[in-house]
Amino acid sequence: MRSTTRHVGEIKYQPELGHYSDPPLLVLASLASGPKHGHAMIEDIANLCGSHLGPGTLYGAIARLEEQGWIEPLPSEDRRRPYRITTEGVRVLRAKLATLHQFTKAGLKRLEAL
Amino acid sequence: MKQRVARWITRLYPGSWRKRYGEEFEALLIAQPGSLSNFINVVYSAFRERVAPTRSCDERGVVPCFGSVVKMPSAAIPITMSLLALAVVLVHIALAGIARQADEGAAAHIWQLLMTGQIPVLLFFAIKWLPKVPKQALGVLALQAVAMGVSMAPVFLLNW
Repeated sequence: MRSTTRHVGEIKYQPELGHYSDPPLLVLASLASGPKHGHAMIEDIANLCGSHLGPGTLYGAIARLEEQGWIEPLPSEDRRRPYRITTEGVRVLRAKLATLHQFTKAGLKRLEAL
Repeated sequence: MKQRVARWITRLYPGSWRKRYGEEFEALLIAQPGSLSNFINVVYSAFRERVAPTRSCDERGVVPCFGSVVKMPSAAIPITMSLLALAVVLVHIALAGIARQADEGAAAHIWQLLMTGQIPVLLFFAIKWLPKVPKQALGVLALQAVAMGVSMAPVFLLNW
């Protein structure tokens, strides 16, 4: 049987553990490395954490983030429109990641105690 | 995904959404594999977009005013039902007077159906529109509350 386990960066990705699923956060994290259009975002997110966002999920997140002013569209390139993160989006991403970091640290500390 | 399929499933989204994202979304779908999971994902997302729109503005980029929100079916139906319930009470008073009747007649049953039947529609309206346009939605909910109050007032005042 073909193994579906693959390496994502330094992290051993195991699909049986499930995906990290917070599409708006994943989009913000993807755009933190520079403007991207939809297809590039899907590929970047897959490389970042192994989650494959469906096109509908991705555009649901894009529409919400744009509505909140956390990302903004750039001029269209051959029907594909790139997006970039705004200053407010960077602030939100930083705050969300800090919370996740705290959670991860606390969780790992508890595991150490086991 | 084939261009024809991409165009067809993009049409499942509401017009205002398509006007803003349609072209780039179609380009993305064409670049994506035409898998069943992608197809289901788009159909589900389009359905969600119709039930709970992500954009608070219309196709011209304008936030809907109170007048256009109150005309939406989920806003107008409960108000109409309350007014119909009031009409039922008034017709009953005109025909049978204000005396309390021994058993519940057709008018009472119609009134109860109209008043309870509007609750799911009212909840749907609140869930759909409060997060999008809170000010206008609260105005409509206040109007719906007044309409409900006016319809219930004769029943409680006459101690039916």
